[in-house]
Amino acid sequence: MTDQNWSILIPEIFLFIWALFIFGLDLGIKRKNPKILGYSAMAGLTITGILLAIFNGGILFKGMFQSDQLAIFFKVIFIGSAFMAVGSSFDIASEKIRHHRGEYYGLILFSTVGMMFLSSASELITLYIGMELTTIPLYVLAAFYKDDKLSVEAGLKYLIVGAFSSAILLYGLSLLYGLTGTTDIVTMKINLSLVFLSYGKIGPGLILAMIMVIAGIGFKLALVPFHMWAPDVYQGAPTPITAFLSVGSKAAGVVAFARIFVNGLIAFASDVMKPLDWGIIVAILAAAAMILGNITALRQRNIKRMLAYSSIAQIGYVMVGMVAASELGIASVGYYMFIYLFANMGAFTIATIFNDKTGSDGIISYSGLSKTSPIFAAYMSIFLLSLAGIPPLGGFAAKYLVFAAGIQAGYTWLVIVALLTSVVSLYYYANIIKTMYFSAEEPTIKIHPSFPANLVLLISVIGIILFGIFPGPILDWALESAKIFAF
Amino acid sequence: MELAIFYISAIVAAGGALMMILQRNPVASVLYLILSLVALAVLFVQLSALFVGSLLIIVYAGAILVLFLFVIMLLNLRGEKFTSEKPILDKGTKITLVVLFFMELVILIKQMAFPQRMDSLMTQASPDFGGVEPVATLLYTKYLYPFELTSILLLVAIVGAVIMAKRDKNEEEGER
Amino acid sequence: MLQYLALASILFAIGIFGVLTRRNTIGILMSLELMFNAVNINLVTFNKYIGPDNLTGQIFATFVIVVAAAEAVVGLAIVLLLYRNWRGIEVDRINLMKW
Repeated sequence: MTDQNWSILIPEIFLFIWALFIFGLDLGIKRKNPKILGYSAMAGLTITGILLAIFNGGILFKGMFQSDQLAIFFKVIFIGSAFMAVGSSFDIASEKIRHHRGEYYGLILFSTVGMMFLSSASELITLYIGMELTTIPLYVLAAFYKDDKLSVEAGLKYLIVGAFSSAILLYGLSLLYGLTGTTDIVTMKINLSLVFLSYGKIGPGLILAMIMVIAGIGFKLALVPFHMWAPDVYQGAPTPITAFLSVGSKAAGVVAFARIFVNGLIAFASDVMKPLDWGIIVAILAAAAMILGNITALRQRNIKRMLAYSSIAQIGYVMVGMVAASELGIASVGYYMFIYLFANMGAFTIATIFNDKTGSDGIISYSGLSKTSPIFAAYMSIFLLSLAGIPPLGGFAAKYLVFAAGIQAGYTWLVIVALLTSVVSLYYYANIIKTMYFSAEEPTIKIHPSFPANLVLLISVIGIILFGIFPGPILDWALESAKIFAF
Repeated sequence: MELAIFYISAIVAAGGALMMILQRNPVASVLYLILSLVALAVLFVQLSALFVGSLLIIVYAGAILVLFLFVIMLLNLRGEKFTSEKPILDKGTKITLVVLFFMELVILIKQMAFPQRMDSLMTQASPDFGGVEPVATLLYTKYLYPFELTSILLLVAIVGAVIMAKRDKNEEEGER
Repeated sequence: MLQYLALASILFAIGIFGVLTRRNTIGILMSLELMFNAVNINLVTFNKYIGPDNLTGQIFATFVIVVAAAEAVVGLAIVLLLYRNWRGIEVDRINLMKW
């Protein structure tokens, strides 16, 4: 306990204290000026990012807290998505949220703290608590429009599904504990291999445990067939929170999945232990997610529901990289999430601004946007084309890497499914662009985003284009982060 | 003797749980759940988990379920508000239930041999295994980090619950 | 050991059944609590029979109780909010968006 380097906890502790500070600040300014709160939340997240760059690398509490490259890579994604969610909240914070604005921003930060702890967890107990710390603030945030029935319904559905999934996840974790006698993921791997080597087989309890953990995390990721809650929650929740849910919370699920499966149960993806391969289960779920998500998205008329189905499909693509369970696979997952952060947050930010202005989420009401607000129509087109995977935008490089990893690992059929569904997805993304540019209707709406929302959009566009043309730095970093797993 | 205690408690626990699900009156539902939890606490003590067993009674039965009762009484809910259940959905869920149930049981029975394989790792438990002191010592040493995390978690839950349940006055509207 | 695990799976299945069939939101929350407790039985049983050299399972169970308490508190607060908006807490009425 003596030579522990406590400083690697500083980013998390700072963000936690900053969230408390925002609660206090809200009281201090007598709940009058929502802008100060928003800016201070953004400042806090920026400082956390800087602190993360200074204080990292190390292990605390006998390995319960690991500040390794994977954790840091994903922490940057969490901080980025929280930053963008806060940035796009300025307009609703001054108009729609009349009470508890400080708590609104504070809870976003708390959820981010939870994600950061989750991504550093290398042990089941901390992993589980981190996951709950991530989702409990989100239950509250989803129901934050307290007089809006849709929002309250979204909060309720998210709570029931979230608690249900964590109960299933816990049951799976308890079985894993029972099979190995430990909650430490690395020791778990060693114990399982020992049992396997000495007896040649492991009881079917492990399969049940794996299915339950996949189901539990699958609910959080909105992986088919555990996705039913996503469109409703996404539609009802405040739009910045929807964006945060679809990026930050999913990235948290991805990192938990990587920790448990790719790190702990990796041996069971190899040919030696084929009967216990979790890869095939996840591959089938990923294929189902891509097919169902993309096809259902085709007939959505509400942009938030459409983006919800699109994000169900996107998580399917991410899982293609995950089942590859190779260095390239994990790196491509990281890179995909990084680009997805920009593209999805950007698209949701436009949806937020638009909803603020018009009160409508219908895709049809975007018609003629290119004439009144050409810049934002162009932004939106870039985000959607990146989600569809059109070169030279970031989404293309991300999809390319994921598919390469899939083929390398021998999942050719899955990559073919992914390619075909990508083509389908192009249709509904292009449909919005068509509505914006080539609609015959007379445009009436002009949108004026606030400065922070503009900033968020600018960062997203630059990120997508820059990292699409020069994927090198991010990819190298992602490859570095994938090295922590012993493949 | 041990087996008799197990079977009595298990039947009470499972029966209480079943009655909790089937009961239409929410207050009676909560009471059945408390009954089920008390039986579970007996089992926990039998499994030499004294601390967890007492937590179950103090925290669960004593605090959480009383909170449930408060909410039910605050909302003045009555049984007659329940609508009749839809038969189609019911059938599907019952099938899910049965499948899950069978799956689990089959797997558990097959898995039974597993711990015996590991008995080389097994050591004799100390007499105060699961008492308050060893658990508390661990909580404040080895598991200090998750323990501190739960303090953040509880803070978040308190803040969240207060925001959700608070009735906002519309005084701010007037100021604008 | 097997009988404890069987009891846990029975309670877990009853909990799932309750979540799926109850119309009352509070009933659903109670079923969720039951599921968490089924997990606790598992953890404590495994602790005694698989790894009695440490108390990891019981510690885990303690944390599960804490988390379940936090979730129940937030859940009940949302139920209050629900009642204020709908004058009722039956899930089949609270379905403006299709599932």
